[in-house]
Amino acid sequence: MVFKVDFIPHDNKTISDMLDVIGLKSIEDLFQDIPNDLILKTLNLPSGLSESDLLNELKKLSKKNKIYISSFLGAGCYYHYIPSIVDFIISRSEFYTSYTPYQAEASQGFLQAIYEYQSIITRLTAMDVANASMYDGSTALAEAALMATIITRKNKILLVEGIHPEYIEVVKTYCWGQEIEYKLIPLSLLEKELNEEYAAVLIQSPNFFGEIENVEDIVKTVKNTFPKCLIVHVMTDPTCLGILRSPGEQSIDIFVAEGQSFGISPSFGGPGLGIFATKKEFLRKIPGRLVGKTREINGEREGFILTLQAREQHIRREKASSNICTNQALCSLAALIYLLCMGKNGLKELAVQNIQKTNYAKEKLSKIPGYKILNTKPTYNEFLLECPNIDLFIKNCDELDLLPPLRLSKYYNHMKNIVLVCITEMNSRTSIDKFIQAAKSASKISMEVK
Amino acid sequence: MTSNSKLIFGKSKNIKSNNYVPKLDIEGVNLDDILPKKYQREDLNLPNIPEVEIVRHYIGLSNINYGVDTGIYPLGSCTMKYNPKINEVISRLPNFSQIHPLQEKNQGAIELISEVSKFLSEITGMEGFTLQPSAGAHGELTGLLIMKKYFEYNNIEKKKIIVPDSAHGTNPASAKMAGFSIIELNSNEFGEVPLDHLEFAMQEEQVAGIMLTNPNTLGVFDRNIKEITRIVHDNGGLCYYDGANLNPMLGISRPKDMGFDIVHLNLHKTFSTPHGGGGPGSGPVGVVKKLIPYLPEPCIISRDEGLVCRENSQASIGRVKAFWGNFGVIIKAYAYMLSLGAEGLKRVGQIAVLNANYLRVRLQEKYFLPYNRICQHEFVLSDKGLPNGVTTEDVAKRILDYGIYAPTIYFPLIVNGAIMIEPTETESKQSLDNFTEILLNIYNEAMENPEKLKFAPHNTPVKRLDAVTAARNPILHD
Repeated sequence: MVFKVDFIPHDNKTISDMLDVIGLKSIEDLFQDIPNDLILKTLNLPSGLSESDLLNELKKLSKKNKIYISSFLGAGCYYHYIPSIVDFIISRSEFYTSYTPYQAEASQGFLQAIYEYQSIITRLTAMDVANASMYDGSTALAEAALMATIITRKNKILLVEGIHPEYIEVVKTYCWGQEIEYKLIPLSLLEKELNEEYAAVLIQSPNFFGEIENVEDIVKTVKNTFPKCLIVHVMTDPTCLGILRSPGEQSIDIFVAEGQSFGISPSFGGPGLGIFATKKEFLRKIPGRLVGKTREINGEREGFILTLQAREQHIRREKASSNICTNQALCSLAALIYLLCMGKNGLKELAVQNIQKTNYAKEKLSKIPGYKILNTKPTYNEFLLECPNIDLFIKNCDELDLLPPLRLSKYYNHMKNIVLVCITEMNSRTSIDKFIQAAKSASKISMEVK
Repeated sequence: MTSNSKLIFGKSKNIKSNNYVPKLDIEGVNLDDILPKKYQREDLNLPNIPEVEIVRHYIGLSNINYGVDTGIYPLGSCTMKYNPKINEVISRLPNFSQIHPLQEKNQGAIELISEVSKFLSEITGMEGFTLQPSAGAHGELTGLLIMKKYFEYNNIEKKKIIVPDSAHGTNPASAKMAGFSIIELNSNEFGEVPLDHLEFAMQEEQVAGIMLTNPNTLGVFDRNIKEITRIVHDNGGLCYYDGANLNPMLGISRPKDMGFDIVHLNLHKTFSTPHGGGGPGSGPVGVVKKLIPYLPEPCIISRDEGLVCRENSQASIGRVKAFWGNFGVIIKAYAYMLSLGAEGLKRVGQIAVLNANYLRVRLQEKYFLPYNRICQHEFVLSDKGLPNGVTTEDVAKRILDYGIYAPTIYFPLIVNGAIMIEPTETESKQSLDNFTEILLNIYNEAMENPEKLKFAPHNTPVKRLDAVTAARNPILHD
């Protein structure tokens, strides 16, 4: 029988030669341990495709998704410009086809890159240490909550409203797994609700509604009364750190973020990057991999190696601080390259542009009759907009080839007429003006005129 | 330790910045008016590095890194097979890579997720899948939470889970995260589960079930698998299949038919998506029909009227990740399954096992094989018989000197000085012969010149690194 090649390099003669060496007559003999009735007769799947047919098939499928000229949707996944070199570097197959760098001497390239990633995250956040990555922002937040309960030996978590609703769901799932209690409260009730039983307060800023919280005040409020209660700060678009005060400066205990904004394409929401950083004193409780700098045993040269592995599951099994093994290494490499490309000046310029363009849109939108900006605090690149005719507005956006903003009712049933708008440096003046046009032609006034 | 001039940060220049951000095309206002000064940072400690320097630095680093495209990557239980290039192209198609997880016009993505679920269901025999988990360990946690919820929902108190001593380290760690305590079960001489011990363990109170990988970490297919799952079921438990070792079973035998109720897969192992230096992966979880209500949400279900997205079901464990999963990885696995088709997938299982057995037989010439019988995808050598005090680590480090990667070492824990080898189906006979020659040669070196091994590697970009000092005085950033 002649087989197609399909990434398997053997011809039939090779197979029979190898069987001879093993001392078996047929391929089937290799599976003699498997009881007969467990041997599958046929796999009910289609036949294989050639590369060209495969590409056509999947191109066709991909076209069932719509892509837009410009986006006004964020809510945890963002369109920022990705410098060409990001994909170029992560496409080096020495990087992307490598395994977790367990054999350090043959993996110095990636190990050094992860060390540089950890370094750039500590610089960006002003935190003491950063790990090599978590799956995404939501699981990083959940693991931060678990870590806080281990550090404080307390079993309750306080979540402040304004955290991404899907992140809250993930934290709840993880907490339920370990029978950790949690409570979700508005920020205004923080002082009243807080007591010595809480391991941590979880807060998002800029929050899900785009608002920048006064994190420093929140930290003071908590620490003045309960100095041992940890503060976990999460954000979904850390490009804001180009201009906003860093978590380190504000005495945050554990900082986590979704790093997708740093050079990773949206890809329907994954893979992203879980950024995780903390204070030095909590180093040995940190989940996930860490790369350290060391030297040759019998030499002078510096090198890099996976370290403090005694925290991890492959050594400590059920006593490990987390079960995480595979992480998002290639995405952390993308984030590293992105941050290096932007640099100190570029990241600041980008963050300021996000604020300025968002402000431009807010100003214009607030002047359209029937529309109202609902935020009362400063915003970064997202804000809440109340609309007179949400369905028509969203339809208008779609027709103008603008990815419509999020209907808040997806997560908050009662907020029927509100959208969460996101504007980044990618939105040109022309696209923002088109967006405003879409809003205008869905305003009550214009409908009456018509 | 002094700052390392090799690092990228040493290449920072006094330049303004690279030119990526679009020109600001609106008239900005005074920043302090819209963002009060107290919210603004004073200093941002990032370097400014010209693009050409960044490119050269990382191309330089890629040159001192080993990947599957460099050569054989024989790590046991890791299934480091070739990553087809077309899959990279497809995952970067704009209508896949540029779509937002919350956009409404997403029919292609939903269809793809649903199709992958169907393919994986056929391959494993399971009846429902979630593609949300990001990695194997994340899938384990998800699967165990499903188990926990099932019992909780049916008012049955279950707090313990059986994990054999040969299991992957993630198994007990995941079980703990799902709130279970562990009953460790000693394997027999073939790494198989002793039925009498299992019966005994299942008699304990509150046992939720067992976590098992089959073939196990010694590469042995447990001949009693049907008995094992029957015993667990008869005692009211559920059986969890760790899919890290599914590769040799592709098209050969299915976890559901073996009696398993829950399975997690590693798309970055069995389904050829690249491991990316440690991730991103994808760890779908499949379940039998009665457990479908407990799957995480959103959960795509195929109904008569088309694909529907189930949200807010009472029985579901909730979310385990924001959005849909590592979609970019899932696309590559789908492309892989479509290229291979039914016959191709079966051939993967067959050749993976052929390759492993070929190496097993050839390496036995010098190395000690504690469990000597036909293996599946992998097999485990021990350090017994290594001459002159040479250790497993010495052998592994010496392998690097020959320009290839070393196998998994010191795992599974049930074999002394374990050397765990999984070649996968994509290695040619020439590649396997080359690997064999190197290992046999190293054995001779261990006899004649053990010093050469004890100080290995010699030819790598750095010599053997000091792991002890690294852990004692951790330096984790510059």
